Amino acid sequence: MIAAETIEAERTPTARPPVLAVRDLAVTFPGRVKALRGVTLDIRPGEIVGLVGESGSGKSVLALAALGLLPPAARMSGSVLLDGREMVAASEEERRLARRRYAGAVFQDPMTSLNPTMKVGRQVAEAAGSMDAAIEALERARVPEPRRRAGQFPHELSGGLRQRVMIAMAIAGGPDLVVADEPTTALDVTVQAEILALLIRIRDETGSSILFVTHDLAVAAGLADRIAVLYGGRLAEVGPAADVLHRPCHPYTVALMAARLRGDSPRATMLPTLEGEPPDPRAHPPGCAFAPRCPLAEGACDAALPEAEPAPTHPGLVACLHAGEGTGARLRVREAPRPSGDPESAATLDGVPLGPDPGSARAPHGASRGSHGGPALLLSDITKAFGKGDRRRVVVDGLCLEVPAGGSLALVGESGCGKTTTLRMAVGLETPDGGQIHVGPGGSPQLVFQDAGASLTPWLTIGEMLQERLRTGGLDGPARRTRSIEVLQMVGLPADIAGRRPRQLSGGQRQRVALARAVAVPPALLACDEPISALDVSLAATVLNLLMNLRAELGMAMLFVTHDLAAARFVGDRVAVMAGGRIVEEGPSEEILTNPQHPHTASLVAAIPTFEPPSGVASKMELG
Amino acid sequence: MGVAEPIAFGGSLPLRRRLLPRLGVGRLETAGLAALALTTIGALVVPLIAPHAPTLPVAAGPLVKPSAAHLLGTDDLSRDIASRVLYGIRSSWFSAIAVIASGVLIGGLIGLVAGFRGGWLDTVLMRTTDLFLALPGPILAIAIVASLGPSLAHTLLAVGIVWWPWYARIVRGEVRAVMVRPHIDAARLAKIGRMRLAFRHALPGALPAVLVTASLDVGNLVLTLAGLAFIGLGAPPPAPELGSMVAQGLPYFFGQPWVCLAPAVAIFVLAFAANLAGDGIRDLLHHT
Repeated sequence: MIAAETIEAERTPTARPPVLAVRDLAVTFPGRVKALRGVTLDIRPGEIVGLVGESGSGKSVLALAALGLLPPAARMSGSVLLDGREMVAASEEERRLARRRYAGAVFQDPMTSLNPTMKVGRQVAEAAGSMDAAIEALERARVPEPRRRAGQFPHELSGGLRQRVMIAMAIAGGPDLVVADEPTTALDVTVQAEILALLIRIRDETGSSILFVTHDLAVAAGLADRIAVLYGGRLAEVGPAADVLHRPCHPYTVALMAARLRGDSPRATMLPTLEGEPPDPRAHPPGCAFAPRCPLAEGACDAALPEAEPAPTHPGLVACLHAGEGTGARLRVREAPRPSGDPESAATLDGVPLGPDPGSARAPHGASRGSHGGPALLLSDITKAFGKGDRRRVVVDGLCLEVPAGGSLALVGESGCGKTTTLRMAVGLETPDGGQIHVGPGGSPQLVFQDAGASLTPWLTIGEMLQERLRTGGLDGPARRTRSIEVLQMVGLPADIAGRRPRQLSGGQRQRVALARAVAVPPALLACDEPISALDVSLAATVLNLLMNLRAELGMAMLFVTHDLAAARFVGDRVAVMAGGRIVEEGPSEEILTNPQHPHTASLVAAIPTFEPPSGVASKMELG
Repeated sequence: MGVAEPIAFGGSLPLRRRLLPRLGVGRLETAGLAALALTTIGALVVPLIAPHAPTLPVAAGPLVKPSAAHLLGTDDLSRDIASRVLYGIRSSWFSAIAVIASGVLIGGLIGLVAGFRGGWLDTVLMRTTDLFLALPGPILAIAIVASLGPSLAHTLLAVGIVWWPWYARIVRGEVRAVMVRPHIDAARLAKIGRMRLAFRHALPGALPAVLVTASLDVGNLVLTLAGLAFIGLGAPPPAPELGSMVAQGLPYFFGQPWVCLAPAVAIFVLAFAANLAGDGIRDLLHHT
């Protein structure tokens, strides 16, 4: 470890000491939850470090440890030096002073981080010292009309503006380090791009270092000088951003890059995914935490924790016994041909024949699709408004939309454009004020919610939820049990999941259960409300593959709502772009991406993160 | 703000549930829970363990000092005070539980319907509930006892009438909060019947709050009922009622203090144990 640090320091010499020096930091929470298991990381003056990891990897814990904000119940060992001040052993008061003097923080949700009862100007002034300094900080955070905004309350500002106010607060005291924990995750893609640009500009103007925590490699790629990849509470790989992204040598980084949905991911094949579940922080395996999911793993990997060594492909560090081979063809990331959505080849359901929903006449499997039937969903001239009088707000305004039977349409738009309301009307959770909704023959439309975990009733078991769905399909007891095990298998879950409750499952498993319930009685239309927007890269790829599989297998039509054009293109045969409650552009997905007509579409296309590896590297990463 | 995250990370719900019995619930609350369980069992077996009949005089005579034969002495009518206190605890305990059970049942049902259906039905039900909340409990009890005659059942009826609205409000509020959660929409889309939606998907969300309130209410009710009995609005004599026993022993306070102190201390201990148990249950369910 010491040797490795020296090497890294030698390779990139800097005169000034690091702003943040984390040495061998381990953090344990009550219940033997090891959030961090020995992390060493430096942030140099003026440097932006992207800390990337999936949920549960310990990235937020590291960010909070840097700020000295971990709750007292957390036990820490190792060292965190913030501008030379030790934060691990310090008293609460010392940590507070160090934090106040040297650090600023931006968190994911500015609405909960800002005091709702206080004007934003005063809140910034608390950090800045005076109202004049606050106005200056707001100006530097590019808040338009800072004097007027300073007199407003947080709820009067948009999400992007609130995050700018948070950034103003973070930089008001002239910190050496700004810790930003998922600051753009809750924002629209276009706003996200603006905030990232702002952070870079602030670094350039003030010379503050930034620790940028994110689950999204592409976001980190957009601004970081160096990227640190965290897995299971350990650093897997750290190095210059371009090198880590384009010449990764830890198998986990390689898999993350491969699973990443890009603007040109081939639609004919499944997305490469990372098999298995993320590590349980309560289990403390002696070896590499990634070994159970790693295609390169051998006996030696399970024996001891791999130490960080100089990486073979770039001037950074990597903690893997097989680092040299990580980029080679030995890494098998699953990549299968994608089942075609062609109705003729769609397999009929084997096993128990399914009754239709009571009251809806269901055509035989093949006949409900293709040219014989009408569309799966037809919305004509739909309007919907919420509120009354002065507060009346038209959300959907004369919208027309058609999803052909067995086809898929991706509905793209920014938050507030009315896409979720449209979706809710399509499945019957809301009634439109005007216009007509026609749903094609087949099972009643189902919805996959953005937060799959929250769409499961917490106090019921998975089996109960599946069976009560099947009861409406007219099956008797034993048939329901057989069928619920069958649908669990369809989404790749073992049968014993049926006895568990949602909180006993991982996020990925909950996602699959939600899907299983949605297709337990095959619907004519499956509507998806941003099902991947909050997911880690590898999980998102898994869910997209699963959706594609189920769609082909069951021959259902799909309406996929997203703000991510890359996902829209991958899922949808056609893409419809929505703005201000109506469709502004619609067409075949490739065309929309390559030749956007409407300026709104063009701005969405521009917001797709691109970090294509140089061509040489791409061919080296022979996955398959 | 950000501090919430490591906690959520370090102690996701199942973990917190597992840890709390060990970490969060204090010794005092555990003692309260144990006392509650013991009292309930004790109340059931009082007829077996009471040394004497509660309403019949014993041979020792009136106002005898506490002794080995009569642990808490005898009252002015030569009855064994220890036996009367035991029966009094039994009656207080079961009365309190009966009122709470009726409150949870009636209030819970009304609250569930109001919260589940919403709209005009919600308005009508909740304004009716407010009407009942406005009734003064003791005066209602006096009115009912005056018109129907003194009896424990009439007192319980009066208390029950003013007690259920609290549960209606709690259940309605909790159910309304559950109704906007995505899992209700998901269940609707799964074409689940209305009854099942209400009882299996919505109502369980209100249970923790109801359980906490109910357990804290036991102590309240013991005191309320004892107070009513003290002013003569409980079970008529010679029934052993803690509140009326205190009133009955008051004239002898300076000469024979045990006559009124024994039931008074019993009321205090019962209410105290019930409150501790309530705190224990609240901690268990992590409602701070």
